[in-house]
Amino acid sequence: MRRVYLDHNASTAVRPEVLAAMLPYFAEQYGNPSSIHGFGREARDAVDAAREEIAGFMGVAKEEFVFTSGGTESDNLAIKGVAHAHRQGHIITSQVEHHAVLRTCQALERAGFAVTYLPVDGHGRVDPDDVRRAVRPDTILISVMYVNSEVGTIMPLGEIGRIAREHGVVFHSDAVQAFGKIRFDVRELGLHLLSSSSHKIYGPKGLGGLYIRKGTKMVSIQHGGDHERRRRAGTENVPAIVGFARAVSLRARDMDEEALRVRRLRDRLWEGVRARVPDVRLNGHPTERVPGTLNLSFRGLEAESLILALDLKGIGASAGSACTSGSLEPSYVLTAMGVPTEWSLGALRCSLGRSTSEEDIDYVLEVLPAAVERIRAVSPAAVTA
Amino acid sequence: MIYSETLLEHFRAPRNVGLMRNPDAVGESQDSTCGDLARFYLRVADGRVTEARFQTYGCGPSIAASSLATELARDRAVEELMGLTPAVVEEALGGLPDERRHAASLVVDALHAAAAQYRTARRPEVSRV
Repeated sequence: MRRVYLDHNASTAVRPEVLAAMLPYFAEQYGNPSSIHGFGREARDAVDAAREEIAGFMGVAKEEFVFTSGGTESDNLAIKGVAHAHRQGHIITSQVEHHAVLRTCQALERAGFAVTYLPVDGHGRVDPDDVRRAVRPDTILISVMYVNSEVGTIMPLGEIGRIAREHGVVFHSDAVQAFGKIRFDVRELGLHLLSSSSHKIYGPKGLGGLYIRKGTKMVSIQHGGDHERRRRAGTENVPAIVGFARAVSLRARDMDEEALRVRRLRDRLWEGVRARVPDVRLNGHPTERVPGTLNLSFRGLEAESLILALDLKGIGASAGSACTSGSLEPSYVLTAMGVPTEWSLGALRCSLGRSTSEEDIDYVLEVLPAAVERIRAVSPAAVTA
Repeated sequence: MIYSETLLEHFRAPRNVGLMRNPDAVGESQDSTCGDLARFYLRVADGRVTEARFQTYGCGPSIAASSLATELARDRAVEELMGLTPAVVEEALGGLPDERRHAASLVVDALHAAAAQYRTARRPEVSRV
């Protein structure tokens, strides 16, 4: 059976070049970068070169880039790091952030901080004017994601960055779904902090980064040794750091070409589904959206049954809703966008990437319409109407 | 795969799907937390189910459980249906993961509703249309 992976926003395959770059650092050059002997120096050199590679890609100083265990840790370090440096204050974020941001902010609320969760429009974008209105004299941080993982919408970070600058507020962005997918300049966007992740761009899991603009007032949240200029304690994950840097250098080379190719495939998938299936809608911004993401809603079916039907045909996509604890929750992102429940329960996220081929899209267009029709046929008319 | 082959088989090719004209009983159940909805139609002769059909909105296990339940209901006395338990459906499905237990209770509740309607009214509302 053909297997088609349409879940690149969840994770990606490590590229062969990335794996090859990592391998020597498991059993040959296994030293601890903090050790001063030759074994340690080899590892330290690899970490330094990796940091330089990534900082170069971002156009920042290498001292401004900190390796972490992934996007979630980067978000925690950025938000708690700024919050605890101020001891109290007000944070502005959005309702559609990743849980790594939302739940960190909720934890800070319990610790006495005030948080404003900004709404989004029907396309999933924060209105910069809402940010301006939300700023208070005690606002210490604005944290708005760059690209939403569920619908792919790109946030107007440049305008939000200008507002942050006008008010002298630290500006963070969870850019896990943007880094290495679209080109941007952290300085132009006015960012002080930016979270990135390796495994979304064909690097290994368990590795991420946080850009910290020089002079940003923050504290570390994980204490221990003097690693990462005392901003993140813990022995560096050398093989993964080497892999992340290799993945970044490959993206730097071919991301523009890939973006064009993937965008074309994604648009063909959408046009194909729209032509073959009634009662379907697109969730997310029509144009301000990353190339690989297509979030569709099929009215009158529950996405989970569609995911299972596709899985049985070898297609891996994800649902916008999850019936994990026996309670079917529509996606909070789609709810914040004002998508009615009858549509949001039938939301399917297809995220395309390097592995996606024309043949994959042909196959999905052959399987998906029939699967939707079959599940709708089982459904009571009262629900489909 | 977290589901049994029996469950997947019923999901792939559900039995007895769709409306029934002039049924002798109709029963419906909606899972209040999950939103899943199952509806069963029964044709009854001499107090026994001769045909059962279903329509279900829900996750894969709920659809599969509905299909299987139509087979379990067939050739049973209506009175017997009242004794059908989620455990029986679950076992016939080859087991359900914890977070999908609602599938078995959903279809059992809907079948009970259909049986109860048969017992009390003997004339379902739908047949008046």
